[in-house]
Amino acid sequence: MTVYGVWVINKAGGLIFQRNYGGIKPLTPRSGLLCFLTSVRSLSAHCNEPVTTISDGIAQLSANEYLVMAGTLHGVHAITSRIAPVAKSSGVQIIESESFKMTIHMTLTGIKFVLISSTDMSNAESVLQKVYEAYADAVMKNPFYTLEMPINATGFDARMNAIVAASGT
Amino acid sequence: MTIYALYIYDRHCECIYYHDWHQTRKPQPPRAGGTYRRDVARYDNDGEGDVATEEEVAKRKGTVAGLPFDEQAKLVYGVLLSLRNMVKKLSGRDSEQFTAYRTSSYKFHLYTTPTNFHFIMMSDPLADSLRGVLRQLYVGPFLAYVVRNPLVDWDREGQDGKESREKGVDNDLTSSDTRDR
Repeated sequence: MTVYGVWVINKAGGLIFQRNYGGIKPLTPRSGLLCFLTSVRSLSAHCNEPVTTISDGIAQLSANEYLVMAGTLHGVHAITSRIAPVAKSSGVQIIESESFKMTIHMTLTGIKFVLISSTDMSNAESVLQKVYEAYADAVMKNPFYTLEMPINATGFDARMNAIVAASGT
Repeated sequence: MTIYALYIYDRHCECIYYHDWHQTRKPQPPRAGGTYRRDVARYDNDGEGDVATEEEVAKRKGTVAGLPFDEQAKLVYGVLLSLRNMVKKLSGRDSEQFTAYRTSSYKFHLYTTPTNFHFIMMSDPLADSLRGVLRQLYVGPFLAYVVRNPLVDWDREGQDGKESREKGVDNDLTSSDTRDR
């Protein structure tokens, strides 16, 4: 029952809030040079300390990569309701992989709240509901907030931290 | 548990098999001039050799016209690819497998073989994971009747080879289909 991250995507598909919480592991090296360096390091005296700790959780990515993924998710959400085998379907609500899952809650106003968590997270929907409440209270009632723009409200951050801390129990 | 559809994609991102059951929104035949051939897909209402009863006709009236099949197949593969890449990127591991997604009215199950065949099944949203079933389909009928079939030539280019290939897959999975149900 670990929350790895929360995204808020506006109705145009732009990422307006993204935070990672706990369970983050260092990014596994991908490029050839890094792999080479890793192997050199592991041969050296420090070989006992692992360079990349593979654990559960998600990788830390750059802000740009998160933006691209939010855009992709926005598009996929629309397509999944079009390819439904029955007449009426919502967009995608839960995406499952082997080690984590993404729960997506779309409000009536078209804003998507995405919760990335461990697969055993059973209260993901209710956590997202609380995130929506926090958004309504700390963001929408903030007179300095411009609609559709990135969220930079300390009040929202604090509420989010509290929600995530309470969700794991 | 209801199963709505089975899609199989080969390593060239092409839909090589499709079958649907109980769908209330059905893909339409591919548009003329499209790249997909009609005989890849096995629609319930294809009607080849089966006589529609009054009851069936009435039932079909409740269905809604979906997308043309070629477009549908492309969208399904697009969703698969996007979500698979997203899951890999988010986890930071190349070995991470995207397994399923769920909407309010259906669930999408994916099993990818090491040789890059994608088996996709759509079921009702409450179904448990069907990856085991998809794996069974691959290990059983697919290996026996398609992979080991000398008439199936996966990589041959041109309409000629494509035709025989599709016919092969079609015939073979038809027989396996009845066996499986």
